[in-house]
Formats: sequence, C-alpha cells, structure tokens
Amino acid sequence: MATDLDITHPMEAVETDLGGPPHGGWTARAIAGVVFGGGFLLLIGVVSDLDASRIGYAFIFAIVGISMRVLLGLLGQISLGHQAFVGIGAFMAGFVVTELELDFAMAVPAAALSGAAAALILGAAALRIGGLLLALVTLTFGAVAERTIFLLRQFTGGGSGLPAPRPPWAATDTTYAYVCLAFLVVVLFIDWRFVSTKAGRAVQAVRDSERVAASMGISVVKYKLLAFMLSGFLAGLAGGLLAFNIGTVQAAPFNFFLALEFVLMTVVGGLQYRSGVVVGSMFFALLDRYFGNIYDWFLRQLDKVPGIRGVADFLRDVIADPGLLVPAVGAGLLILTLISFPGGIGQQLRPIVSWFRGGRFDLSLIHADTSARGGGEDVRP
Amino acid sequence: MGAATVSGLVVGAGYALVALGIVLIYKATRQFNFAQGEIGTVATFVAWMLLERDLGWPISGVIAVLTGVAMGLAIERFIVRPLARSPQVTVLVATAGVALLAIALQIIIGEAKLRAITPMLSGDNFSVFGAVVKPQDLMIIAGLAVTGVVLVLFFRSPVGTALLATSQEPTAARIAGIDINQMSMLVWGVAALFGALAGLLFAPIDAFTPGFMTQRRLIPGFTAAVIGGITSLPGAVVGGFAIGLIESYFGHLLGETIRGADGLGVLAALLAVLVIRPQGLLGKAA
Repeated sequence: MATDLDITHPMEAVETDLGGPPHGGWTARAIAGVVFGGGFLLLIGVVSDLDASRIGYAFIFAIVGISMRVLLGLLGQISLGHQAFVGIGAFMAGFVVTELELDFAMAVPAAALSGAAAALILGAAALRIGGLLLALVTLTFGAVAERTIFLLRQFTGGGSGLPAPRPPWAATDTTYAYVCLAFLVVVLFIDWRFVSTKAGRAVQAVRDSERVAASMGISVVKYKLLAFMLSGFLAGLAGGLLAFNIGTVQAAPFNFFLALEFVLMTVVGGLQYRSGVVVGSMFFALLDRYFGNIYDWFLRQLDKVPGIRGVADFLRDVIADPGLLVPAVGAGLLILTLISFPGGIGQQLRPIVSWFRGGRFDLSLIHADTSARGGGEDVRP
Repeated sequence: MGAATVSGLVVGAGYALVALGIVLIYKATRQFNFAQGEIGTVATFVAWMLLERDLGWPISGVIAVLTGVAMGLAIERFIVRPLARSPQVTVLVATAGVALLAIALQIIIGEAKLRAITPMLSGDNFSVFGAVVKPQDLMIIAGLAVTGVVLVLFFRSPVGTALLATSQEPTAARIAGIDINQMSMLVWGVAALFGALAGLLFAPIDAFTPGFMTQRRLIPGFTAAVIGGITSLPGAVVGGFAIGLIESYFGHLLGETIRGADGLGVLAALLAVLVIRPQGLLGKAA
C-alpha cells in the first residue's frame, strides 16, 4: 500500500512524513493567532458605534454565508429565496419581543426554528424530485414573502415595521457586535462538526451522486431535507440576530437582490472553504456599507492629482449614487470566480490557513487544483 | 371575470414565450438560464433608445432582437461553454450573475425609473367578453403563434432532428457527427430570440424599469416551464396560459383581501403540481 501511495501521490506522502511544524512552530502560530484574534477583538471595542454596528452586520452575513454553504456546498442545491428565510427569522424575533413581550433568549431560537420550519415545508414539496426545483420554489417563495407575508399586518405590523429592542446586557452596538461574533463562532463549530458526522457525510454523498448514495442505503430525500432544514435554521438564526442589529424590522431590505447577494458572496468566498465563505460574506456586507466612503475617498485622491481635475467631477456626475456600483462589482466578481478561480477567496487564503494548522506557508496552494480530491466540496468536480 | 380571463390569456401568452426559451435550453443542454428574462429587458432598452431617435418600430425592433440574440450567444460562448462540465447549479448561479450584472448596468446607465415605450400598434381599443383589449395585446398572442409555428417547422427540419438527438443522447449524437457546440449555440441563439421578443411584447403593456423582466416576468415564466413539464415545448405554452390565468384570477378574486395574491397563486400552483404531478402537466414520468 505504502509504495502505491508514493507513486500516485508522492507529494502527500512527503507531507505526512514531516508530521507537523518544526520545533517551536506551534508557539509562533499561537502567538500569531493571539495577536491577530486579539487585535480584531480590540478593534471592535475601539471603533465608533456606527462601525461596530456595521461589523456586527458583517458577522450576521457570515452566518448567512455558512447557511448558504451548507445548502450549496454540501448538498449542491441552491436557494434563490434565502432572503425570505432571513426575513422570516427577523420578523419572528421582532414578533416575539414586541408582540409576545418575551426576551432575546426566546426570540433568537424562535427565529431559527421558524427558518427551519419554512425550509421543511418548501423542501418537502421540492426535494422529493431530482434536479434543481428547489431553486425555483425558493425563488417563488421569496417573491411571495416579499409581497405578501412580510406585509401581513398581524405578523409584521404592515409597512411601519416591528421594533426589536436589544436586551439590556447588549444594548450598545459594540457589545452586540461581540454577541454576533459569539454566535458566528458557534455556527462555524456546528458546520465544522456537521461535515464529519454520519449525516454530514451522507449529505455530501447525495451531492456527489444521488444514485450511488441511494444504492449505499442512504435515504436521499431525508438527508436533502435535513441539510435544507439546517440551512433554513441558520438563516433564521441570522435573521433573528439581524432584527436586533437594525432595531426595526421592515420588509424592504428582504428583496430579491439580497438573495442574489447571498449567493454571490458565498460563491466568491469559495464554497469549499469555511474561512473563505466567512471572509467573502463579511467582505460583501462591509462593501455594501462602506462603498460610498471608499468611492468618495477615491474621488478626493483624484482631485489632488494635477491636470486631471475634470475626471473626478465627471465621475461624480455620471455615478451620483455609488451604491449602484456594488451589484455590478459583485456580479463581475461572481462570474470571474466561477470561470477562473472556482476556489474563490478561500483558495487564496489557503497558505495562511494551512500554516495555522501546522503545515508550511506554501504559496503554491493558491493554484493547487483540489477539485479532484475525494469528497471535495468544489462546485466544479 | 371575462376581463380577468382575457388579460390572463394575454399575459399568459407572454409567459409562454419566456417559458419556451427556458424549456428549449433545458431540453437541449439540461441547463437553466436565469438570464432569460434579462435578455428581454436589454432588448427593450435598446428598442427604447432607438425609438427615442425616431427610428420607428420595424428597424428598432429588429436591432433590439438582434442585440438580444447577440447577448444570448455571448452568454453561451463566454459563460456556459467554459462551464460545460460543471454541475447544473454552477451554470444557474453564473447566469444569475449575468442577470444581476445586466440589471446593475441598466441602472447605472439608465437610472432606476419608470419608462413608457411606444406601443407597436396604435388604434382604438375594442371589447371582447366585456374586457377592454388594446391592439398591442393582440401582438403578444400573434408573437406566440408565429413562434409556435416556427418551432413546429424547425423540429421537422434536419437541424431540428439533430437537436432532438443531441438532447436525448449527447454522446451518440456526437458519434453520429453532430457538432454539439454548434447545437448549443443554436439553442442559446433561438432562446435569446424568444426572450428578446417576450421583452419587447411585454414592455408596452405597462411601464418598464431596469430588470423588469427578471423581477416581474421571470418567476411566472420559470413556473410555467416547470408545471408544463420542463422538457416539453407544448407544455411550456400550456403552462404559460395556465399561470397567466391563475395570476389573473387570484388577483381578481383575492386581490382586495390579500396583498400580492397573484404571486401567491403562482406559488400555490407550483407546489400543487410538484406534489400531485411532479413530472409536470405534459411531461413524461422520469
């Protein structure tokens, strides 16, 4: 066996021989981890309330990203109506605190469960059948949520919105950002563990081939439904957290374009890599919030360059609202990722991630083709 | 009720056109084209810009349709073909990216506002079963009828037969000397033509905005394709009319009590078909 391995996968054999980092390597990694992680935690503490609220928003997006990854990366199905699950979670959280007058500790689980329940109902109809019908069913459901469910006066307070006041122990934007981070860590842990459980492996087998999975005795429909419910659960959870992040839940943000943003942030992040999905989701959430500032800064820099004064004014004139550029940038990145960099941001982060896990800092990992790896989660097998 | 029926049939004919494009691509390549609606919006924008310059409908319409076809061919060549060996879901995501990019560009160039486009036919409205019919409404029905006849003739031609062969067994078709890439181009070009036509026919019915086909017409069109049986062209037409009528009746009967009742009707019809007859109305059981 060992000689066979050497011939077919010489690189792998060499890597396992090394058996972890050189002497003192773990100390260096621990210090880097503490400095990086601690620096990030401190950063949230010192920035302004507005910035802290935006960072909290980005953590919530990362939870949505993991929810999308469970569905798209592990199961190979897609939801084009994920904004509806997030929205249902958000309205449910608002409903629980405002109408039922219960507190945060009840609202967030209720939000997550409502997302899972919605997924169960839709999945029961769409996942019995092969193919990508879930995409159409969720797309249609998203439209109904936007135009009907979110405008029901009894549930969502009609157009005026549902207030969702934060609990007293997390009243400031900064503490609430830490709360969102804590939830993100738990969600990452759930995703990490789920992948290697029996159910998680069954879901991935179903993705690779429904027929092969069925012939191994895996109940295809059951595990498809399970993965979709987990995805709905996480989306609902994110919605519940979002309600307290924005303070008042209204229907308007939960539109079809948000669903597309969820898809593209997950794909650009790199479905195969948990770290990539988190970075991709946070990147798009922050891009959305900061693009105006970045654009203004860019134009001010242009103003300082002598001789091309007219250019900045021209740009100000043509693109009055820079927010409009964000979807174009996102869609461009999506197509570029699919065609040229299917590993997404996660692939670019591989040298760093593998170093922290005890491997060498190897820049060639950026280009290494991992798609042939058994049980790979790449969208392009 | 008569009015609801007539308007349901008119809009349904448009949905049938959208669905035909989706079904054609799915039938030939097993891929979903999420940009099918957006091809129509882009064509509409081109037609509107040319009409503003007083070029008249015949010239503007032809150039607009050709632009739509060019867009379809570009999607096939630069997005779909490089992803040919990827799972279905990748192409769906990629075409969704194309749709989003197209909408974003339309908003940047043309601003997100309502616009009206000159109707193709002017003339007096007339009444059918108590419903007011505009001459423009007849254009949608006529457009669908012409498309249907062309498709029937096409599938009797040698090229049409080759396409059917490719759809049923791509490997055997390639061995028999059929150029798969050519077939893929052909299908995307024809589907884009239907998409552009649908956009131009829908636009004069009411005001159009950037992304109007994706936002308002793609979901019913997709649903029509699925409930008709995703690989059945006659099914797409039946599904189109069915969804048009369901939307219209739900809006007419429940519109005052429930907001968005028409969309609710589409979801209800979709779920009902998936539960009761998963292969679609005219689809064959797998």
